Amino acid sequence: MSAVANPAAVDAAAALSIAGGLAPRTLLLAHHGTAGAEQAAALALSLAVSGQTRIVHLYVVPDFWDGMQGDDWLNNAWTRDAFAHHVENQLKKDAQDQMQAVADQCASSGIEYEPVLRYGKPAECLLEAVREHGADLAVIGPPRPKGMTGLRSRMDLEKLARGLAVPLIIAK
Amino acid sequence: MVYTHKSPALLVIGIVILAWGWLNQTGSMDGLQAWLQPGAYKEQKQAVEKHQAAEKAAVEKAAAEGKPAPEAKAMKPGKFDAVKASQAQLSYIVGGLFALVGLLIMVWKPKEGSLDYYIGIVPGIAFIVVIAFAVRWMLDPIFANWGKAAQPTLGWNFASIFNLNYVVLGIVLGIIIVNLLRIPAWAANGVRTARFFLKTGVILLGTLYSAAELVQLGLLSIVLIGIFVLGSVGLVLLIGPRINATNSMTGVLSAGVGVCGVSASVAAAPVVQAKAVDIAYTIGTILLWGVLCMFIFPTVGHLLNMGPVQFGAWAGTGILNSAQVAGAALAFDPKGIETLKVAEIFNITRVLFLPLIVVWLAAWYVKREVGAEKVDLGKVLVAKFPVFVIGFILMFAASSAGLFAPAGHYQGKYFSSTEIKEDKLLKEKELTALQSALPKARNDAEKKALDDLIANKKVMTREQDNTLRSVAKIEGLDKGAADALGAAHKAAWHSSKTIGAYRDWIAWLFAIGLTGLGMQITAKSLKQAGGKPLIIGSAVGLIKALGSLVVVLLFVREFV
Repeated sequence: MSAVANPAAVDAAAALSIAGGLAPRTLLLAHHGTAGAEQAAALALSLAVSGQTRIVHLYVVPDFWDGMQGDDWLNNAWTRDAFAHHVENQLKKDAQDQMQAVADQCASSGIEYEPVLRYGKPAECLLEAVREHGADLAVIGPPRPKGMTGLRSRMDLEKLARGLAVPLIIAK
Repeated sequence: MVYTHKSPALLVIGIVILAWGWLNQTGSMDGLQAWLQPGAYKEQKQAVEKHQAAEKAAVEKAAAEGKPAPEAKAMKPGKFDAVKASQAQLSYIVGGLFALVGLLIMVWKPKEGSLDYYIGIVPGIAFIVVIAFAVRWMLDPIFANWGKAAQPTLGWNFASIFNLNYVVLGIVLGIIIVNLLRIPAWAANGVRTARFFLKTGVILLGTLYSAAELVQLGLLSIVLIGIFVLGSVGLVLLIGPRINATNSMTGVLSAGVGVCGVSASVAAAPVVQAKAVDIAYTIGTILLWGVLCMFIFPTVGHLLNMGPVQFGAWAGTGILNSAQVAGAALAFDPKGIETLKVAEIFNITRVLFLPLIVVWLAAWYVKREVGAEKVDLGKVLVAKFPVFVIGFILMFAASSAGLFAPAGHYQGKYFSSTEIKEDKLLKEKELTALQSALPKARNDAEKKALDDLIANKKVMTREQDNTLRSVAKIEGLDKGAADALGAAHKAAWHSSKTIGAYRDWIAWLFAIGLTGLGMQITAKSLKQAGGKPLIIGSAVGLIKALGSLVVVLLFVREFV
């Protein structure tokens, strides 16, 4: 089951779920620092209940990075290694910054937080993380609007719709 | 980590290649080969018919004269047989090697270590090689045949116009495999070794230059690369801050767009502390431009009737990514490697510029970025030095010193009077023709050269050969004398088998290397082209391509 939610509807849904004792126990939040992911984080925090919900923050490093040495053939092994280390460090730093930001938001709301770092295709990583962490709700951001710049690594919504056994909310 | 995958794939590839060799040797593939090589097949068929007719006539003549039938003469192998024989020979060597290593993989229990590492890359190499074989031996002639077949309908030869030869097809097939079919796990490690084939190809290219040629091309490349590399690096550094691009983005992009594409971005990224997103945008943009240029440049080159030097200089300067420089050069001129020779000198010059540009960018970045880590410039210069260029220079020196062919050879062709065979000495009829041409000599040197030729029945020195070449051009010279001079010249010049073998190997090394590099161009990385790097990279890339085209057309002549 999946739904697209806007903030007003989310507030109402959150209020209802809490009142009905339906707060998610493990909420999986897919977040990697984009504007859409920030919307997802806000939604996840509004749905989570302190003391009842644990937010599992899934940060995916997309697998297009395999091809990022492209067809370089002129450099020696030392230069390629230096590049690979540099890229790894940059990706690690980006991931740590994002995880820290979400962890801080969770801490200020009194929500339990668990970071998960994965490398691969976003949808596959999300399905795997939901299974492994026993999530009962997944929250993701909306697709990036057309024309807006950013790295191209989209969430395969069809794969999610077919593979997810828990509700999915797309923040709007 | 254990690199070797327990898979029968290598053994299967080895057996398939061996079978191809055996089928060609036994003639079982003649029908297919006749379709693939129609020109060579037709030529050989005509030669066989002519030979058989001559044999039959000789037998009939002997019978009429009451003599025993003459012994049948063996026919010299034709081009068609030579093609099959070379495919069979190469298949036996390569297929045998792969089959043996494939067997070893099946029975061996790999353990971590160097042996495991080297054995582990063989299946991937075999994967590229078998594709390169299939492309060069089958797809290339198939597309050539289709191009010719479609010409009457289309009015143009699509295979020729789009340069659908083994180089382009190999790269395209590589790109298709990695993006649609995926590289099998057992091949993944070996596929990454494609760059070694290209570097080895460049090193072997060193045997094909003369000193004069290397000096001329070297100077031309230094001037052109100097202007366009420094110009485009400077232009990006100028535009970047004006459109609010970060210093790290501007730095990594300027190296990629200015020097040698992805390789330069890889080298510069750590020193300008490029962010992950800057790297992805830049490399995506350069790969996209590189692939487009590889298809566009050769077609434009043919439309503008460019020669090897002009096209090699243009591709070597104007194409952003160095891998596609080699691809475009071979796409433009797949039969010979004259264009590749020129383009690779430009590639080498670019890569020699790379350490200097990286140092420049490091200094530029430290100056502009608060808190940037200082870089040891000397260490950068040493670390980024392309060692394979030393191999190229050593091969050039060895070749010039006469290690592979007598010193003074050019592309394996050399003068030698002592190696002229007895049957190549001038015949009586030719000597008589030369005697009658003696009065035409314009000076003592020409007269002496003719006298010596008549006396020795062959050309004795290179100087004499030069003099006789000008004698052959004297107006009104008897045709018999001119033919005799031509025959004497031809008999004195020989081809080095070693250099000839190097030429073949160079073509194979580039075909295999570029097919493997094609497998490293992923659609996922191409899709990352975007952001400010796409805008700046496209603008500077276009200026560089068009600017270098204009300069090359105006100032570069086919002088080498």
